[in-house]
Amino acid sequence: MHYPWWYVHSLTSPMLIALVATLHIFASLYAVGGGLFLAEEVGYAYKVGNKDLLTYLHSHTFFFILLTVVYGAITGVGIWWTIGLASPLATESLIHIFVFGWAMEYVFFVLEVVSAFIFFYYWGKLKPEVHTKIGWIYGISAYMSLVLITAITSFQLDIGTWTPGQSMWIAFFNPQTFPQIIARSGASLLLASLYVYLHAAFKLKNNKQLLALVETRAARWSMAGAVLVTIGGVWWLLNLPESAKASLAGASALIILTALIFAATVVVFLMLYFGSYRRPGWVNQGFAILYFIVGIAATSTGEFIREGVRKPYIIYNFVTGNNVLVSEIPKLQQTGYLNGGTWTRAFMKAHYPQVVDSSGNVDSPKLLSLPESDQLAVGRVLFQYHCNDCHSAEGFSAVAELTRGWSEDMIQTVVTHLDKAHFFMPPWCGTKEESIVLSRYLASISFHSPAGMKFSSAPPGNSKDMTASSGRREP
Amino acid sequence: MNPQDLIGPSSPLGNPAPFWFITFFKVLGFILHMIPMNVWYAGMALVAIYATFGKGHYEELAHRLAKSMPVIVAIGVNLGIVPLLFTQVSYYQFYYPAGVLIGWAWFSVIILLVIAYYGVYVYTLSVRRNVKTRLAIISAWVSSILFIVIGFLFANNFSLMTNVAGWIGIFNKTAVGGAPTGLALNTSDPTLIPRWLMMFGIAIMTTSVYIVVDAAYFRKRETTEEYRSWAGKFAFVIFNIGLVWFVATGSWYIFGALDPFTVGKLKSDGLMQVIFAATALSPGLSWLALLLGGRRHVNHRTALAAAGAQFVVISLNAVSRQWVQNTEISKYRDIAAEPVKIQWSPMILFLVLFVVGLAIVGWMISKIVEVGREEAKV
Repeated sequence: MHYPWWYVHSLTSPMLIALVATLHIFASLYAVGGGLFLAEEVGYAYKVGNKDLLTYLHSHTFFFILLTVVYGAITGVGIWWTIGLASPLATESLIHIFVFGWAMEYVFFVLEVVSAFIFFYYWGKLKPEVHTKIGWIYGISAYMSLVLITAITSFQLDIGTWTPGQSMWIAFFNPQTFPQIIARSGASLLLASLYVYLHAAFKLKNNKQLLALVETRAARWSMAGAVLVTIGGVWWLLNLPESAKASLAGASALIILTALIFAATVVVFLMLYFGSYRRPGWVNQGFAILYFIVGIAATSTGEFIREGVRKPYIIYNFVTGNNVLVSEIPKLQQTGYLNGGTWTRAFMKAHYPQVVDSSGNVDSPKLLSLPESDQLAVGRVLFQYHCNDCHSAEGFSAVAELTRGWSEDMIQTVVTHLDKAHFFMPPWCGTKEESIVLSRYLASISFHSPAGMKFSSAPPGNSKDMTASSGRREP
Repeated sequence: MNPQDLIGPSSPLGNPAPFWFITFFKVLGFILHMIPMNVWYAGMALVAIYATFGKGHYEELAHRLAKSMPVIVAIGVNLGIVPLLFTQVSYYQFYYPAGVLIGWAWFSVIILLVIAYYGVYVYTLSVRRNVKTRLAIISAWVSSILFIVIGFLFANNFSLMTNVAGWIGIFNKTAVGGAPTGLALNTSDPTLIPRWLMMFGIAIMTTSVYIVVDAAYFRKRETTEEYRSWAGKFAFVIFNIGLVWFVATGSWYIFGALDPFTVGKLKSDGLMQVIFAATALSPGLSWLALLLGGRRHVNHRTALAAAGAQFVVISLNAVSRQWVQNTEISKYRDIAAEPVKIQWSPMILFLVLFVVGLAIVGWMISKIVEVGREEAKV
């Protein structure tokens, strides 16, 4: 609320974070697990003198660099870019708490990039032990990036005992740090193996012997990954804050997805053990593609659940989902949301000076004296800044749908008791008068109950009387 | 609307390090970022031009630049993180609103950069395989154009950051229900175009120095004496174009676009006048080094002198830019006076890791230098 709100029609701007983050995670986990895999396997190939395996690993490294150093690195920066646009207050807070954590990650990132290029471009030119060491410099640096970033994102889910002004380390070592690091470490190893299967299935289709060797060796990594995902996942689940546990318990879809991930991990482990590890030869192109898709689906589902249970916060107990500092809420409830927001206040001063007093503050009761069209316009401003972080008007998670068939009074009751009606929503952060104008706006865009139902609120004559496409009520 | 009303409150968390520390790393990071960024910014344009029209040494130059470009882009993007990080620590009240107001343009940087980077790879792979396809040449052009577009978008955001009065016009034009759509650019700002073009001038100069360094140092076995001699002369010509460009756009920026407040502050600050004068004159050092290098075959000494001089040019430029940014922002907020709550142990650990990281990078570079020496013996 200290910043202008970026209005993205139909989608909401935070959905862009989800989009970029999902696209990034596929490459970033591979960047970690794949780096460790390459370092270990190159060392092994040198040790046993397997030139064919070295040649294969060289071609895999090129594939790895193309995906992780280009796409992975830029989408990683892209997440940062997008959170600054769509959640500026939360980003500002995270940056102030963790700036040196990010700065440390930057050091590891430099090491990653330099070592990755030397590892690839000086293949066959460096002494084997130096080459292997450079591979490990990459792998360890990439892993340290995972540790640092996971600690920051886990802080968002549970700040633990941290309070503003305390050391970064208290925030860093929060209750979620180790469970999430273990789970993500496992996911990185598991996903890396699936990338190896995918690449090897095509690259080594005419060399079954080498394919079987790669398959067996990669299976060790993925089985270790599956074990870590399970341990980290269970620990994560047990360690969740009460609100997150309640979110899971209250959303059947999330429970089913969580159960599916655990089940899929166990199944994958068994398939790998009895298949690729004990009796190599399972991996062909179709199988590798299928495996890969399952891995990507499981990873993105896991990330979705991890993000989903954080509601109503972006940073637990510190910044709410609608970019309000928790500490500011009592004041906002007294003096008004429009007053508290930097841009909402400036907007009201410029456009509705009749409701602004001599000291530049919005006089909430005066909002109700505005003409109805102006009240709706102010209600829309409140919607944009208070609600649009999670809800669009008529697109993603549309309030027009969520309030379908509700009366204005019902809407206002829910608005003023948001956190009571749904514990995963932030509390109403404005005055009573502001809740009235917001409710008027919401009522003006909410849809009728579906026509044709008994007790429907749709006007007689149903669809013909509704707005052609949406069934929206006319204000 | 009053511009002062649009600046949000200070973070209750305070800055985790003193303002000078943040500014130092911001400027240092920007200097380190500018070196590779300059090379891809103007260098990729040279690649596209000579990949299409070049023959002989011109084509060889395009190939040599292209072969290094994937590494240059990766390192440049990486080094860009530091100034961006420290910008968000001290300048958040200005950086975030500017980004939101041009949201879609700023967001598109990521997509454009991914496309541009893959375009670089497509061309580089064709060079490595000795096949010049139409797709490769188109990719080189696409990358080159996108890099220039990205530069324009960066100039937009960073000029808008300090042009708080300009926020109002964009907001009024694009807001829906009081929330901007992000469908705007900072095109009404008189500093935008000269600022964008000035960086391209510096980029041309830096790229010409890189061409000399490449010919003198990198994979010497791959280049002939004839190429080295040609590269020195060619780099000098290109540098002169960049120099004229820099002088013209720099003069436009300083004398024709900078706001009177900043000019007034400059007039009353003797030290900054000296630094500004040095910034304007410093390309003369690189010019001299290239002139001397161009007369003879490019050698290690002249390449090193040109690189050192260009480093000074870039550093002075970064310092001057920082002063302008701070001065423009000082109209609205004294960001140097923000509360500070120093995070000592994370800061010390970062500095230790920074030194250790540099040592490891140094060790890795020493290993590839060894390889180079052994190859030279063979």
